[in-house]
Amino acid sequence: MPSLSPSPPRSAEVRRARPLLGTLVEIQATGAAPQARLHAAVDTAFAAVEQVHRRMSFHEAGSTVSALNREALQRPLRVDAQTWAVLAAAQRLSRLSEGAFDIAVGAPLRDWGYLPAGLPGAAGPPFDGNWTDIELLDECRVRFHRPLLIDLGGIAKGYAVDCAIAVLRQAGVEAALVNAGGDLRTFGGPQPVRLRHPQAPALTAHTLTLCDEALATSANYYSRRDTAAGAVAPLLDPRRRRPWLGDASISVRAADCISADALTKVVLFAAPEAAERVLVAYGAQAYVQQPAAAAA
Amino acid sequence: MIPSSRLLFLPLAAIAVCAPAQATVYLSVDEAQKLMFGEQALMPLPVVLTPEQTAAIEQDAGTKVYPGSLRAWKAADGYFFVDAVIGKHDLITYAVALGADGKVRQLEILEYREAYGSEVRNPRWRAQFNGKQHGDSVRIGDGIQNISGATLSSEHITDGIRRLLATYAIAIAQPPAQR
Repeated sequence: MPSLSPSPPRSAEVRRARPLLGTLVEIQATGAAPQARLHAAVDTAFAAVEQVHRRMSFHEAGSTVSALNREALQRPLRVDAQTWAVLAAAQRLSRLSEGAFDIAVGAPLRDWGYLPAGLPGAAGPPFDGNWTDIELLDECRVRFHRPLLIDLGGIAKGYAVDCAIAVLRQAGVEAALVNAGGDLRTFGGPQPVRLRHPQAPALTAHTLTLCDEALATSANYYSRRDTAAGAVAPLLDPRRRRPWLGDASISVRAADCISADALTKVVLFAAPEAAERVLVAYGAQAYVQQPAAAAA
Repeated sequence: MIPSSRLLFLPLAAIAVCAPAQATVYLSVDEAQKLMFGEQALMPLPVVLTPEQTAAIEQDAGTKVYPGSLRAWKAADGYFFVDAVIGKHDLITYAVALGADGKVRQLEILEYREAYGSEVRNPRWRAQFNGKQHGDSVRIGDGIQNISGATLSSEHITDGIRRLLATYAIAIAQPPAQR
């Protein structure tokens, strides 16, 4: 690492990454030296992300999400305050977007191989409930009214980023950026961010400058795959229960990352006027990178 | 384009003029050691696998073992490892601290490189990251390294950790089988 040695180090920078939330989570922090202080702040921020991962993973049997998928149809289940906050945010967005955003998509995602099989209650009626069948009761209790499986993969990454940012602020870090596989948020000064080119994702198509904001992107280039039953992708149109197989890339810029993350799905699946209305309600801006129709 | 619109369509440049995306060094091997084990001196631990051990590790972890990929050190209260995994689109080196009980105490990505097109499957491209180079190279880039894009899966890192833990259990924690 080249260092600017002559002047005394007043400000230090730390940049680290760990595999979490099914992707690579990167945390950068800048602040007063010593560097050990920044490392400690970054440790705490990673711990916050790990906690969200443990609670909201569809994969882990011990998560709150798994408990809901197992039991919330039989009886109201009390959940932790973080999962509650994410569920409330998801339901609000489902209502505003008239179901273009929906967390009750675990069953098709599992059937397409994006989520692990082998959940309890395999026998019985199909999991065909939607967001309107999820009831949030008082005291952080949740009840499902029809068989359904929730998956928070379209919103929890953004929430985890927000949690990590809150921890870094609290630790007195001067500037930071948290990036969970492309869903990111910054504070403390402008930060340039590149948007991947949807046809060549290793390359950059555009650069935006963020200042105390969040940006999230949804696209298919890394996750689309072909199966015997046809092409599938983890981006699912909740109302049609069909995978979105488009080749565009949708980015949303918002005040916080939970909103940016979830709003990319609204832009994908809501009618343009509805998407516009929801974006206004969140004070958000969407960027669409649509490759031209393939030339003959 | 309507300026007031909340949906902005960005023009896409021809691919040839775009800048390459990402190659990031997060921590050097030394920095990761210090972060995980403080100032204590670590003893390099040669990992030489017999064909039987290699087969057992591959069986146990369900993933291929690349000879010479794993580097190991012994600490007073655990072990420090550096290894690499190759995904569909990237090459990642990482460091793992195991406690004396063999449990993962800390995991840090050292270096992340994206491959362009088919490079990642090219043995010669891969070869440049073998052996000593893991996590040792110089920080590169033009200062803009924050990327927003679709999520890259980290499944292959999980596979790598499983292989590392199997190697620990089979070849390091247990003394070699006596004939």
